[in-house]
Parts: sequence; structure tokens; C-alpha cells
Amino acid sequence: MSKLLSPANNEVLFMGNEAIARGALEAGVNVAAGYPGTPSSEIIETLATVVKERNLYVEWSTNEKVSLEVAAAASFAGLRSLCVMKQNGVNVASDFLLHLTASGTRGGMVLVTCEDPGALSSVNEGESRYFARMLEIPLLEPANFQEAKDLTKWAFELSEKIRNVVILRSVTRMSHASGNVICGKLPTKSRKALFEYKGSIMDQLRGPVISTPVVIKHALQQEKLKKAVALFENSPFNTYSGPAKPELLLITSSACFLYSQEAISMLNLQKRVGILKLGCTWPPPPQLLKKHLKSTGKVLIVEEILPFLEENVKALAAGMAEDIGIKKYYGKMDGTLPAVGELNPDLVAEGLGKILKVKYKSQPPGYVKEMEKIIPMIPKREQTFCPGCPHRASFWNMHNALQLDGREGFVCGDIGCYALAALYPSCGFDTVRTLHSMGSGTGIASGFAKLGQFGFEKPVIAVCGDSTFYHAAIPALINAQHNRADITFIVLDNSGTAMTGFQPHPGLTVGAAGESVPAIDIAGICEAIGAKVAISDPFDLEKTCGLLTDFLAEEGCVKVLILRQKCALSPEKKGKKQFLMKVDEERCRGEECGCNRLCTRIFRCPALVWDRIKKKAVIDDVICAGCGVCYSICPQKAIIRTEAKQK
Amino acid sequence: MNCSSELENKIVKTGLCTSCGACQGLCPYWLSHRGKTIQMFSCDREEGRCYAFCPRTKTDLAKLREEFFPDADYIPEIGPFYGLYMTRAADADIRAKSQHGGTTTALVELAMRKGLIDAAILTDAKGGVNPKGVLVKKPQDVRKYSGSSFQIPPVLATLNKALEENRYKKIGVVGTPCKTLAVYKMKSRPFPDNDGNAGNIGMVFGLFCGWGLDWEGLEKLVQRHAAGKQLEHMDILPSKFHQMVLKTSKKQMEVPLEEIYPIVKGSCNYCVDMTAEFSDISVGGARSSEGWDVDQGWNQVIVRTEKGVKLIDLARKEGILEFKAVAESNLEKIKQASLNKKKTGLKNLRKLSGSKNNLIYLNPDEPGIEKACVDMA
Repeated sequence: MSKLLSPANNEVLFMGNEAIARGALEAGVNVAAGYPGTPSSEIIETLATVVKERNLYVEWSTNEKVSLEVAAAASFAGLRSLCVMKQNGVNVASDFLLHLTASGTRGGMVLVTCEDPGALSSVNEGESRYFARMLEIPLLEPANFQEAKDLTKWAFELSEKIRNVVILRSVTRMSHASGNVICGKLPTKSRKALFEYKGSIMDQLRGPVISTPVVIKHALQQEKLKKAVALFENSPFNTYSGPAKPELLLITSSACFLYSQEAISMLNLQKRVGILKLGCTWPPPPQLLKKHLKSTGKVLIVEEILPFLEENVKALAAGMAEDIGIKKYYGKMDGTLPAVGELNPDLVAEGLGKILKVKYKSQPPGYVKEMEKIIPMIPKREQTFCPGCPHRASFWNMHNALQLDGREGFVCGDIGCYALAALYPSCGFDTVRTLHSMGSGTGIASGFAKLGQFGFEKPVIAVCGDSTFYHAAIPALINAQHNRADITFIVLDNSGTAMTGFQPHPGLTVGAAGESVPAIDIAGICEAIGAKVAISDPFDLEKTCGLLTDFLAEEGCVKVLILRQKCALSPEKKGKKQFLMKVDEERCRGEECGCNRLCTRIFRCPALVWDRIKKKAVIDDVICAGCGVCYSICPQKAIIRTEAKQK
Repeated sequence: MNCSSELENKIVKTGLCTSCGACQGLCPYWLSHRGKTIQMFSCDREEGRCYAFCPRTKTDLAKLREEFFPDADYIPEIGPFYGLYMTRAADADIRAKSQHGGTTTALVELAMRKGLIDAAILTDAKGGVNPKGVLVKKPQDVRKYSGSSFQIPPVLATLNKALEENRYKKIGVVGTPCKTLAVYKMKSRPFPDNDGNAGNIGMVFGLFCGWGLDWEGLEKLVQRHAAGKQLEHMDILPSKFHQMVLKTSKKQMEVPLEEIYPIVKGSCNYCVDMTAEFSDISVGGARSSEGWDVDQGWNQVIVRTEKGVKLIDLARKEGILEFKAVAESNLEKIKQASLNKKKTGLKNLRKLSGSKNNLIYLNPDEPGIEKACVDMA
């Protein structure tokens, strides 16, 4: 049995994302939809493992907006639904979210956003708490693993109490760390879907679900929010610990609560500092805050990414200044804590130390000196494509075709593992010149290609992965074709949503829970749009570079090149080598004129190692994936490949 | 530094590159595409064969001449000199496919038959569009590649690859002046430990050259005048005709020179060698006082080395070439034409460098250059 289905009162070690999934199950969730994105992906993945046992419908949707719409439909039919995404996914979903908050929901509906302070697995340090404020819906933030479960369960109840969607926000250290959780009861009954629409437009439970009349419904939405605030005032998820009249009041939420507790304990400040931990962060409960703000003269707000809580506390405090008096505030805004990046106990301790004049150095004396001694001994590991990664070969081809073309063309990058291509010289071969959000490489390329009348003459390539193709690239591709934007569009098709852990996507024949589904053919879509389409294996360097060079030279239409080769870490390929590789030392020219270490200096597959003593290239057999591409790049034919025996 | 990036910055980017291919076929860093020389990746070596072989990097021409032409007379306008001849191939089949008299084809074929060379690097002109270098291994195949190309393919990349392969030990090379100069720079073995088997270069056959045409420019011109047609031959007539002709098997199209001048390859403006001064023997179209009607089926030949003398004597003895008397005025005419090219090249080099004394890749003391300078002053 999945540990997700552990009986009530059992104490189970859950990853934060599993705890959120368990909370949803305890709430009797019926439908869960999402789009993969670190650190959120495990929630849907975990729920997908118990669809039969819990009669769930779980899907990986084409993108976050669609997933929110799918989840909303369940809510409209009176079911409980969960929608999961990473922080920037909320941006994708936000247009629908705006309208959804206006129409309201029926069955409990929770939008989980898992955010990535410090951008550990992102190309942005996005913040979606502001959506709650902007769109006037409640925001909850669990501060430990038990709460991750409990608060998720309660979020569904809250959503049904106010008939609107509720946002639950996690962060990497909450989603991906693990802790003990005492399980609650799993419901025994499942709801039946019933969508009523024949009532009046103002009947939220029986009428059509629409956002008009706008102004009246807007007022109604604000009433709902007031209801939420009233519940927040006495919520057990908002806790205070510390002296009755602390020297400093620390207000925090989410993983920062854990950092703050640790920092206070490290500095032995338990008697001087009190912690007000808020699980309900928007709207902040004013009476609760008034009570605690009154108790002290100094306030430190500890939170990650933007000073959301800090702004809200200050705004409330300004309104109650007459009652609570003048306070001194510390936090991100005055520089007590770093304005960007992830926090940790050390950083919080340093902040506390500054305010309370406690000497605290996170690093012991001599730490930096010792580090400097050790650093050269650490083997250098570049952030780069894995050995055997099709993207290395794909970008090699792009680079070569662009060089041959000779017009200083470039690549508009996109989001997926291949975003790493922006890191030159470790990979990417100095081709990627823009990198933004999913699918935007294609839209940007479409724009560049229309600048001819202003003297822009460079050819433009847009790349996107197979999952990204469905997610957001299709509208941009249609835009390019329709507006005669002469781009070369490359789909890096590695047969899965590789970066987030091989979640299926519409190009595959298997759904989130392993069910059989029809695949949507990328080439067919592109042909239907009217583009000129070719398919190639990026490992076939000669063919791929030739096709690409011809595409770049061909003017007057959108060209699509689908580069198809499975990810080296895909379940089908992992651990299996197609080729056994070795270097013929006699033939290897090394640093001489004639080669100058092309394989280790330029191609830089991590499995190609430069032996400084022999001055020859060597294959690191342990990490070599046996793709055989380096055989094709060696000008001396010194890299030898032999077909590996398949087990 | 005499390195790859210097070649990219000082030669390719400045427009001096002749696209000869001397830097290619040696390593993965230099390639050619549609007549353009392309540095694929940066190379951080401090010196390389690419730079050393390039005909547009600075060369001590006097030293190179001393090494390879020690006994020849030296005529500043046209280089090392053993004699000037008017010839044509005796074989009418060769003549029929040649630009002029088919002398080069006949000589290369003979050299291979007689074992003076064991393979030859030629240009597959393909009627003039998209030419490429070929390694010819059998004497009977040589005549397949007669006829001229006006786009400049990187033929020396083919030579470099053939040398690296080390299968043929006496490879003949046919090329325009920029190419033959590069071949002599290879022969001088700038890196004795990494000479790319330069000793396998057999004979060098130079081709007189006024200028070549820009790859894309010629392609567009052909599209304009002969779209969809299979060209068999193209030629530029003497200046008084003021035209280029494109020929298919059935038809001849005339293109006025006004359309040609704008597509002259930019780097050719910096060339000061009309007669391929670095070669064993060099061949061009005849230009005599007898006029074009008589000249057009003939070549003039400058023999520059003992090897060249041996080959031309053999051609006479075997009846491979037909000879006719060379009018005394011919040598003067060719010297004058060659000097004119030097003067044009100098003018353009001075313009590029912005200084009268900075001739970029040339030494102002070089006698041929000095003569042109004096003439211009």
C-alpha cells in the first residue's frame, strides 16, 4: 500500500509535497490537475499513484492555465479539486484565475503554488503571493510538514466556506524536505459530480458560472474575503511563541519559520524574541496583528523573495497607529535581511544579531582561509548537459549551421533542460541570445524575423522542447507562420518532460496515471499550420547540420526541424549504452595544431576527460552514456566506437 | 600571434581572404561554405598552420623564391622565368572542352602518365557554378575537369586532406596565384615537426588570373541569365568585347561586364600576382598582337623551374602540345599586364591600410612591388 494511504493516527515521514497530497486526500479531493515544474511536480505524481484506490481523476495538463480550468470544472460540478504548479505557472494561469475569482467556485478548490527562492531550479525568482492580494483571494502558507498536510485539508474547507479558490503556497525547502506527519482520516465517501446551471445569474450554487455582473460580483468577492479574515483571526495555523512583551517581535511564515526558530535558539534569544508565525498570510488578520504589535517596539519580518508580508504588516500598522504606537521595522526593506535569494538560519541569525546587538558570525574564524585551501582540491563540475544528452548534439548542430550560414544568426532559447545552453562555454556553443519563459523563444524569434524593414538581416532560430511545444509554443508558431516571420523552429524532442522527471505530455501515449491516451503528433501540427517540416536525429551530425544549413538559407517560410532523440536519463535509455567508446592514443592529436582538444575544450561532454599527463583525451567509462556522438566530432577519428552488446 | 584568431580578425574579417582553402582540411576549426571561409570555433593555439599557410599573411617572398627558384631568371613583373611559350593541346578533344588551348589539362595528364606526379588536385568547375576541389588519381580522369571556374572553391582543403592521408607521394596541384603561393608556403614547412606531409607535393601548375567572382554574386547572375539551365562553360572575353559568356550545350548567353564588376570577389582587389609567380609552370589565355580570333584557341605558358622545363620538353617530344612562335612583343605585353595588376593591388592595399608604406601582407622592398610603386609615383 502506498504510504500516502496510511491509516489515521499513523506517523509517517512525508516529503512536503507528499504531505500536501495527503492533505488533499484527507479533504476528499476528486480531481487534480497540474503542469510539471520544480519544486511542485511530486504532488500530482504522488496523487497519480492512488487514482484507483481513491477514485481520483489526475492529469498532467498541457499548461497551467488549462490545468486550472480543468480543476475549476470539477469545482463547478461540486467536486473538490486541486491544481498544482510552480510559481511562474501562476502567471500562465493568471488570466483565467482573475475571472475564476470573480465568478467564484463551488466544490472546494485549492491552487497550490510551489515557489523557488534562490531559483535553484528556475530561471526566475518569481513570487505569486501578490496574486492573492491582487485577485482578492485567501493565501495560506504551511510552515512545517504537519501543517503542509493540515493546512491543505483546511484550504478545501475554507474554499467551500467562502465559495472561492484558495491559494496554498509552498517553497522548495517545504516541498522537497521531509518530516514526520501524523495522518488524519481519509473520507470513505466520494462525491458525485453535479453541475447546476439553470438558476439565476446571481445564484452561485445553481446559476451559470460567470463573472458578470462584474461590479456586483466584485463586491461579493470582497465580502467572501472578509469572511476569510474573520476565520483567520482565530485560526490555529497562526501561532505565537515567546515572551508576553518581547523585545523584538519576529513575524514570519513558511520555511522561514523553521529558519527563525533555529536562529533564535542558536543565539539564545528565546527570552527576548517572540515569533508570530502566520499560516494565513492574505489577508493578514488585523486583530491578531494588533495584539502582537502592541506588545513590542521592534518588529522583524522574515520572509523569502519579495517583502509581501512586510508591506502588508506595515500597511495594517499604519491604519492602527493610533492604537499600537510607533514601531521600528526590520526586514528586507531596510536591508536587515537580504532582498533576494534564499534565506537560511545563518542569515536570519545575522539579522537578529544586528538588531539586538548580539555578536554572531555564521562562519568561524579562519573559515574563509580554510575554504580557499580546499576549493582548488574540489573537482570542477560544470553546470552542463549530461553525458549522452541529445541537446549537446542539437546545439552543436545549431552552432555549426549558424557558423556556416555566416550571417551571425542566433538562437532564441526556451525553458527546459536546454535552457542550460545559455551557459557558454560549458554547453550551448555560444548560440543562445535570449532566454525567458516557456514558449517565448518562438514568439521572440517571430518578432526578430519581422525587423527586416529596419535593417535586421540575421537568421533566427527558436528552440523548444516537446512538452514546451504543447505548453506555449504553438500560438507563437502560428503567429510566425501567419505573419510570414521567416524563422527556423527547432523542437528538441526527447520524448518526455525530462527536466522535471519524465512526466508524460500530449506527445506521448500514456497519461499521468499510466492510462493509455492518444498522442498528438508535433510534425502533423506543424504541417497543418503550413510550415515546412523535417525530422532528424541530432546524433546524425552530418544530416542534421545539412538540413539546418539549408533551412537557414531558405527564405520566405517557417521551417520546423524536429530533432528526435530520447533523453539519456529516460527510463528506456538509462544505464544502457549503445556504444562502447575509447580513445586511440596513437591517433589523438591532443593539443597539437590539427585538433587542439576539440573534444574536451569545445564539445565538452563531461564523459570526455583531458589527461594532463599523457596529453590525450580519455573516456570516463563510468559516466559515458555511449551515445557515440564524440566519434563523429573527432577530426582524427581517434575516438572509436563499438556497438555495445545489449543485455 | 600567428594564430587562428589572428587569421579570423586580420584576414577573413578584413576581406583579404581569397577562399583558397589553405587553412582548411587541417583541423576542425576552419571550413568553407559557399565560397566563404569560416572559423567554426575559436582555437587558442598561439601559432598554427592555418596562419602560416595563408597566402594573405605576411610572407618573405624573396626568401621563398631563393628556396624554390634558386636558378631561374627573375623578372620583377612576372617572377621566376625559364621561358615563355605559346601552346595548345594537340588532342582536339581536350581543346574542345577547355577555356583556351587545353595546355594545363594536357600537361597535368602527361605529368601523371610519366610519373612526375602520382595524383592531382584539380577543380571540378561543374560548368562554373558550385565548383569544388577534387583529387584525381588516374591520368585518364584529368580531362574530365578541364574548363575554368570563376567562383573560387577551397581547393587547397582537398590538398591538405590528401597530404594528411599520405597515400600519394607526388601530388600535382593546379591553382590560381593565391593558391599556388599558399602551396609554396606549405612546401617551406613552417612547422617541421607537423608539416602535414608537405614533401608529398609534386608539381605546382599556376593559372593566370585577373580576378575571381563572388560565390553568391555569380550564383545570382547565373539565375538571372540562365535560370534552370545546365551550364557547361563560362568565359570572360578580352576587354574590348566587354562581356562574359555563359554557355549551355545549345546556347550562349552574353552578359555585359557592367554586371560582372560588382561581383568581383573583394579580396581579388588586393592581389598583385597575375601569372602565378610561385609555380613550376604557369598557364594563361594567349594575348598576342595577332588578336583574339587567333589567340582564343591558344595558351601562353611561363616555365619557372627545372621541373617545368622538363615537362614542357617532354610535351614537345611526345607531341602532346603544339607550339607556335612567340612574338617578341608578347613578353612585354604580359609584363605590362602583370605590372598593371600589381599597381591596382597596391592602390587598394594602401587604401585598406590607410598608409602608403603599409602594404599589409606585402613587403615594399619586394622587387616586383617596388617596380609597381615606382611606376605609380
